[in-house]
Amino acid sequence: MSIMELNGGSVIAMVGKDCVAIASDLRLGNQALGLSSNFQRIFPVTDRIYVGLPGLGTDVHTLWEKFRFRVNMYTIKEEREIEPETFAHLVSSTLYEHRFGPYFIEPVIAGLAKTPSGGVKPFIAATDLIGCLNFAKDFVVAGTASSKLFGMAEGLWEPDLEPEDLFETISQALMNAVDRDAYSGWGCVVHVITKDKIVTRTLKGRMD
Amino acid sequence: MASANGGAYSYSLTVFSPSGKLVQIEHALAAVSQGTTSLGIKASNGIVIATEKKSSSILIDDSMVDKVAVICPNIGIVYSGMGPDFRILVNKARKSAQSYFKVYGEYPPTRVLTQEIATVMQEATQSGGVRPYGVSLLVAGWDINRGPTLYQVDPSGSFWAWKASAIGKNMVNAKTFLEKRIEDAIHTALLTLKEGFEGQMTEKTIEIGVVTVPTTDELEHAKTSPETGRPKPTFRKLTEEEVRDYLAL
Amino acid sequence: MNSLAQRFSTTSPLAHFRKIQRLADEDEDVSDAAWGSQAGFGSLTKGVPTFTVPNLPDPTAFLRLHTDDHADPNCRIKIQHGTTTLAFRFQGGVIVAVDSRATAGSYVASGTVKKVIEINPYLLGTMAGGAADCQYWETYLGIHCRLHELRNRERISVSAASKYLSNLVYGYKGMGLSMGTMICGWDKTGPTIFYVDSDGTRLKGDLFSVGSGSTFAYGVLDQGYRWDLTDEEAQELGRRSIYAAGHRDAFSGNTCNLYHVKEDGWRFIGNFDISKMHYEGPGDVPGAPGGGYGYALRVEGKSSANPPVAEAAA
Repeated sequence: MSIMELNGGSVIAMVGKDCVAIASDLRLGNQALGLSSNFQRIFPVTDRIYVGLPGLGTDVHTLWEKFRFRVNMYTIKEEREIEPETFAHLVSSTLYEHRFGPYFIEPVIAGLAKTPSGGVKPFIAATDLIGCLNFAKDFVVAGTASSKLFGMAEGLWEPDLEPEDLFETISQALMNAVDRDAYSGWGCVVHVITKDKIVTRTLKGRMD
Repeated sequence: MASANGGAYSYSLTVFSPSGKLVQIEHALAAVSQGTTSLGIKASNGIVIATEKKSSSILIDDSMVDKVAVICPNIGIVYSGMGPDFRILVNKARKSAQSYFKVYGEYPPTRVLTQEIATVMQEATQSGGVRPYGVSLLVAGWDINRGPTLYQVDPSGSFWAWKASAIGKNMVNAKTFLEKRIEDAIHTALLTLKEGFEGQMTEKTIEIGVVTVPTTDELEHAKTSPETGRPKPTFRKLTEEEVRDYLAL
Repeated sequence: MNSLAQRFSTTSPLAHFRKIQRLADEDEDVSDAAWGSQAGFGSLTKGVPTFTVPNLPDPTAFLRLHTDDHADPNCRIKIQHGTTTLAFRFQGGVIVAVDSRATAGSYVASGTVKKVIEINPYLLGTMAGGAADCQYWETYLGIHCRLHELRNRERISVSAASKYLSNLVYGYKGMGLSMGTMICGWDKTGPTIFYVDSDGTRLKGDLFSVGSGSTFAYGVLDQGYRWDLTDEEAQELGRRSIYAAGHRDAFSGNTCNLYHVKEDGWRFIGNFDISKMHYEGPGDVPGAPGGGYGYALRVEGKSSANPPVAEAAA
């Protein structure tokens, strides 16, 4: 029994044109037994950054509280909002603090970075459970359905998708991937982050 | 209460006097005001910090004396007061900047680093068995959030942001001088230093550090130097040749 | 020294397999080419099929080490265990219902597996454990049921058929066979179910559920089961039980295949999408209550987190 598969769950993030999307399933299980179909594992860090925490259920909450604490301290101390890339480094160094007894979480980060000229730049990243950063330009995946998500994303993703098309792409990738994973599914939630708004949709998925 | 020699409150332990003063801090400030003059000036496109580095003997190799210190690629500091105390603070500040980099993958904003140094200096006013640092600092730096900023930190641990400031021996006059003219920062800095400068002002007897504000284009494209692969520094010390050129102007 | 002794022993496991091999090869050596001809393939009718076994002093020990076994979860060859199958006897015959998911680890390898094996028009076998083992041996059982009919001019009883299977798999005990099956049918004695597994267990009963989702199925089954269920009620109970297992158990799901065995043999009732049953129900079928089994319950009220409007007001 792998502790990474104890509770199940998967997260994917994708880059679009001046937008990013992050999505996750809603299942929380105890091995084969499904317990909840409304387990949120994606959290808002700032108005423009979301973090997804697939992995061990108890660590999802503990780690998120830790991130919230550190981001709040950062915001107060520095009198500014944290940028996605900086947050990714914060995630990485927080996880590495526990190198020899890690949190069983593989975070996925999605956000829009401010450019010096006042525009926005899509940003996604993922780390392993001890904080090895992976800055991807297209998509990142994590969780029990990661191998299936890679397959779907590899097939569906294309550059410069508009927000609505990005939503369709990430939703199809996630829904079809989790249907092939025993430990993920039971509904999905998708966040599309654009310059002026965030659209969050809850999707009906297969319930078996 | 505080007599000429500090009376009962001149022990190294920082204790309030009945009048509410921390005499040790006032003594530290006194040490600062006996130190060489340093100054900082903020301009539209950067900051200049400068100081005298007069040696007590001509035998000293003044090329090895460092009074303007680089903390990290975007921040530099200069001091007035006790050199050895400054060295300790430089060490702590550099370590702090590197720890910040380790966590966030970028160097600290000027304000955060200043706060960090100020905290170190404040601790020395409240801990047992230590004395306050005998220096005032001018911290000059650039960050994406606030642009170029100049801070002064005192032995008490208080800090302020300045458009221009001076610390050390000639600070009162120097500040008055600065208030009159803030234009070309480097030139002003040199003129201000010259006010009350004892002896010849040459590239050997002063040090200058500058913060240069990067252009939007530089920010968007080259975050790191192509030669070193490291973040492009926004703070640097002027070489002796550069100082000589400015003095010749 | 031991291996030398074993080579000439007549009681060692190896000797046992040599004997089986020799029996099969008595008439002629069946070449690979013979598999293309009817005569060659007919070797199966000789009674005892033969298998190549690891050429070792003790093949059983070797197989136990390398194939799936309850005792050793770290074995090299994985056989799928995730499944939900059920069968129950009632006044109107036998209901057989199964899911259709096949998993390999956490991977859902297929969602359209037929887990009810139609042995003959009067006999059904369910599939749990090794798919190949169930398929092969239950087909093989079908051959012998037909031979029994030809020889004795009457259909084989469910009891006899299940015992034949039970004895067969017992002969391979310890060699990694993995099956948990229910042999269901209607014979002279009426509707009958036998549970047979690869350990050699054979049980007669009114109600069985086998597989990783069996606990969930039992839950629904037990609270809804009566002997005097109508045909429609019984079919709905089977469907509803498989839905419950498909919903909660990660290794069960996709669709439900429902069979009803009556005096004149089995009838396929239908294939029902489990997710569709959750949201909309099984559709317009006899016995269905109308509406989804699970969705309204959780989303439109009737749960503590989101109570129905009337109750909330009270």
